[in-house]
Amino acid sequence: MAQVKNTANLDQLSNAELDVLERQIAGKYMGKVPWGAVVWGLGNCAVFIALFPLVLLDLLPLWAAFPIATLNAILAYLPSHEAQHNIIAGKGKPLRWLNELVGHVSTIPLVMPYRVMRATHMEHHQHTNHPEKDCDIDLHAKSGIDFLRQTLISHQPDSGRRKAYPDCLERTGQSHLMLDAVMMNSAYLIFMFTMAWSGYAIEMALLWWLPKLLGETYITYYLAWAPHHPGDEQGRYRDTRAFKSRFGNLISMGMQYHIIHHLYPRIPLSLTPAAYRELRPVLAHRGCELGGL
Amino acid sequence: MKHLISALFSPMAFALGLLWPLSWQVIASLELAEAGLPAIVAGAAVAIPLGLMAQFRRSWIWLK
Repeated sequence: MAQVKNTANLDQLSNAELDVLERQIAGKYMGKVPWGAVVWGLGNCAVFIALFPLVLLDLLPLWAAFPIATLNAILAYLPSHEAQHNIIAGKGKPLRWLNELVGHVSTIPLVMPYRVMRATHMEHHQHTNHPEKDCDIDLHAKSGIDFLRQTLISHQPDSGRRKAYPDCLERTGQSHLMLDAVMMNSAYLIFMFTMAWSGYAIEMALLWWLPKLLGETYITYYLAWAPHHPGDEQGRYRDTRAFKSRFGNLISMGMQYHIIHHLYPRIPLSLTPAAYRELRPVLAHRGCELGGL
Repeated sequence: MKHLISALFSPMAFALGLLWPLSWQVIASLELAEAGLPAIVAGAAVAIPLGLMAQFRRSWIWLK
């Protein structure tokens, strides 16, 4: 790849040179195994599973387990997201098994089947903000409050949201993956019903049902709504934005820098802030929405 | 098999499988009804109408 050394004045660079410069910078942050995400994904799920015997054996009070389970649900998606993008290890690499293990295991608290999430997420990346092809388009909302209203509606039996992923899989010829979703959700419901009728309904509601609902809402707000708001533009540099969260980078789970993820999905989450800082002048020059970040 | 899966994922199954025992156990814990049959009946009185509403009106909150 050609090297662009003088970056002082981006106006003097041609589009091709700007592309090269952008890729040079991004390349520095790719190809690293995010061991933090591996430990996070497997550890978070282990803590979540441990809550069940701890509560049922009266070793941990339910009031203490509920916020932990909710935190587990909130933290469950992102390690799988790293795996969906093959960031831990690509196909044919020695650590591929670990990539797939993290992908499958980390989303257990959310009852989200990894292969379905990966297939639909790739479609989201390929068609971000497309009114028909982006399977997350119906998560757009006019404001944060409107997002909450839509979330409530999306949990109703016939909501369009429930059909978004099955329709996406059908459109892309991957309907067979729905079997994963059916099996995982059937196992979840049978487990919940059995435990509830065995006298542990309150425990199940506060260990899994409510944490799952809260976790899904939290993740959807920061991963799907905030970085794509208002979601009315398409194109590499306009379909995702940077934004400054009033609650900081940790609470917003690094999603302030989601624009970097959409431009270079192989950059690990933990490195997106540094990549953003280095790429910021290029992104500003490209006309990206940087939200004062 | 398809019918069985549809039934498992239906709002009524959720109401009977989780909401009914949840309502009865909350009612019993808060001592709003006597534990045992009265709490189970009270739980059914909460969960079954909710399940029927979700099943036939297709909304858990009446509004659509």
